[in-house]
Amino acid sequence: MAEPAGGPPRGEDRSVEGAGSAAARRAPRPFIAVTLPILVIGVIVLVLPLFIPTFVSSLVTKMMIYALFGLSLNIIWGYAGIPSFGHAAFFGVGGYATAILILKAGIESFWLNLLLAIIATAVIAAILGVPAFRVFGVGAGASNPIYFLLATIAFGELLSRGAIALRPVTGGSTGLAGIPEPNLGFGIQIDSGNYYYMVFAFLIICAYIMYRIVNSHYGYALRGIHDNERRMQALGYNTWLYKYTSWIIAAVFGGVAGVLFAYFGATMVPNSLAMITSDIAFLLVIMGSTTVFFGPIVASVVYVGIEYIASLYLPARWPLIFGAMFVVTIMVIPQGLGVEILKLWRRLIRGTS
Amino acid sequence: MSQALVTGLNGLSYAFILFLLAAGFSLTFGVMGVLNLAHGALYMFGAYVGLQVIAVVDAFWLAAIIAAICLAVIGFGLYFFFLRHLYNKIPEQAVLTIGISYIVANVVLWIWGPRAQIGMTPEWLQGTISIGDLSFPIYRLFIMGVGLVILGLLWWMQDKTRAGAIIRAGMDNKEMTVSLGINYGLVSTLVFLLGMALAGLAGVLGTPVIGAYPSMGDNLLLLTLIVVVVGGTGYIQGTMLGALVIGLMDTFGKAYIPEAALFFSYIIFLIVLLVRPSGLMGRKVF
Repeated sequence: MAEPAGGPPRGEDRSVEGAGSAAARRAPRPFIAVTLPILVIGVIVLVLPLFIPTFVSSLVTKMMIYALFGLSLNIIWGYAGIPSFGHAAFFGVGGYATAILILKAGIESFWLNLLLAIIATAVIAAILGVPAFRVFGVGAGASNPIYFLLATIAFGELLSRGAIALRPVTGGSTGLAGIPEPNLGFGIQIDSGNYYYMVFAFLIICAYIMYRIVNSHYGYALRGIHDNERRMQALGYNTWLYKYTSWIIAAVFGGVAGVLFAYFGATMVPNSLAMITSDIAFLLVIMGSTTVFFGPIVASVVYVGIEYIASLYLPARWPLIFGAMFVVTIMVIPQGLGVEILKLWRRLIRGTS
Repeated sequence: MSQALVTGLNGLSYAFILFLLAAGFSLTFGVMGVLNLAHGALYMFGAYVGLQVIAVVDAFWLAAIIAAICLAVIGFGLYFFFLRHLYNKIPEQAVLTIGISYIVANVVLWIWGPRAQIGMTPEWLQGTISIGDLSFPIYRLFIMGVGLVILGLLWWMQDKTRAGAIIRAGMDNKEMTVSLGINYGLVSTLVFLLGMALAGLAGVLGTPVIGAYPSMGDNLLLLTLIVVVVGGTGYIQGTMLGALVIGLMDTFGKAYIPEAALFFSYIIFLIVLLVRPSGLMGRKVF
């Protein structure tokens, strides 16, 4: 049977794989079912800027940044079963770290900025993770992390209040504007045209690393915790440590998305830390599907597309459309677009072969 | 001295507004396990409905009743069409109700415009009483009175009535309660409607103090979450305690350490999470 592109399917198929999954992962995948579509999509994205106007390629850049943002949340939500509702906290910390380092500290090198932003995000995540996971199982058991959800909502909001209050550093409620083009060194000049390729490269690299993480021994342990935390504890796993580290990993990738977003928009505002941005992240995850690795990528294409169309025709009704996307996703495609696409793709493959 | 007294009274009245705001959320959340993140937006909707009624017929009590009924109807729709199908799926409920809150906020903006509205205090509640050389508005005393009455009613319902017993039984073990032949679905639907009606009532009562504007839903939701988490869910007295702690700390913090005012409730929230994750009066499991 064809392995889906997004790694072994989860849900009811998961228990069937069980112990044999390590061997299954090493087995060669059918070229047509997995490698070819990835290559085709990759090539299309690569040559796309040659055929489309600049504003469309900047939309695609935004899609790629949001895709990375959604993928990072999916590590903890989809795989480890940790529904963080404050993921924007890390997106915003990454972005703000970049903006502050460039505009206030005068550090020009992109790589140094990226490194420091990643460290900042990881530190913030490590700090917030302690109270967050203290309440994780409280209330209604580990499968029902209601307090955790409420706590993470408050984290993002706390940080955005912090960004408003620390005016000398963060620019207060107007935020920081005028972030220059990234300085990569090595004689590479990045402008608005080839920033597209830079984001694409980052998305590929980060997605690959995340894919390897969730399909490693560690990733399988996270899935095990999602399914039955008690059993994993009985097997000797320190489940708290697994959840805590996965939270930091997800935060770091969310922070990278924030760094890319800061350069993309050239501004950072407190809203990038607040609920509104977290809401985007979990719309991407829920709409894309929590059980398919590439789901958030599909969702970010749909989301940014709808956002753009709405900004053309119904800018005043955008929050209504945004809200309706949540409702439609939950009521009509609760499995997410990723699962639907996989089903369609499998049917297509079976038809041809 | 009288300065501290007035600050204390302000804190108390703020605490009762918070209680009214959070009571409905706490009921549906603690009792039914339904996470309604649209609560803040629906409160705001209730406030606008009340303002509209006052603008048309100028009757404060009528406004409160109509807003409560209106929100109960909306709550029924929300429950019947959506939340009923998402039993025990907390993240899904959260996503759905967040979507609803965006829709409600935008509809309010569409109908009533972006301008902030200031609620009119009804004539018979205007004026102040004087404490030493400072004065305190009567309306805030009125809110404290209404809050106390509602607290008493909910407490009585929870501890003394059959409905309260069913609810407490359902919280402990829903399957067992249902298997005893109790129509738990009906009771929990009614509780949900009561929670929504409380949000509408709170919206009308709170507007003269905190105003109404279309984007207030998020702020109110966060306040509600903090109050409910600090107090602990499952008991109405927990919500009151959370509201008192947050209301008083926030008011005194703003009066004496204004620089930290933005963070005060969050810091309390984090401390409570670290020290007593289930809240000050929360049940360990529900």
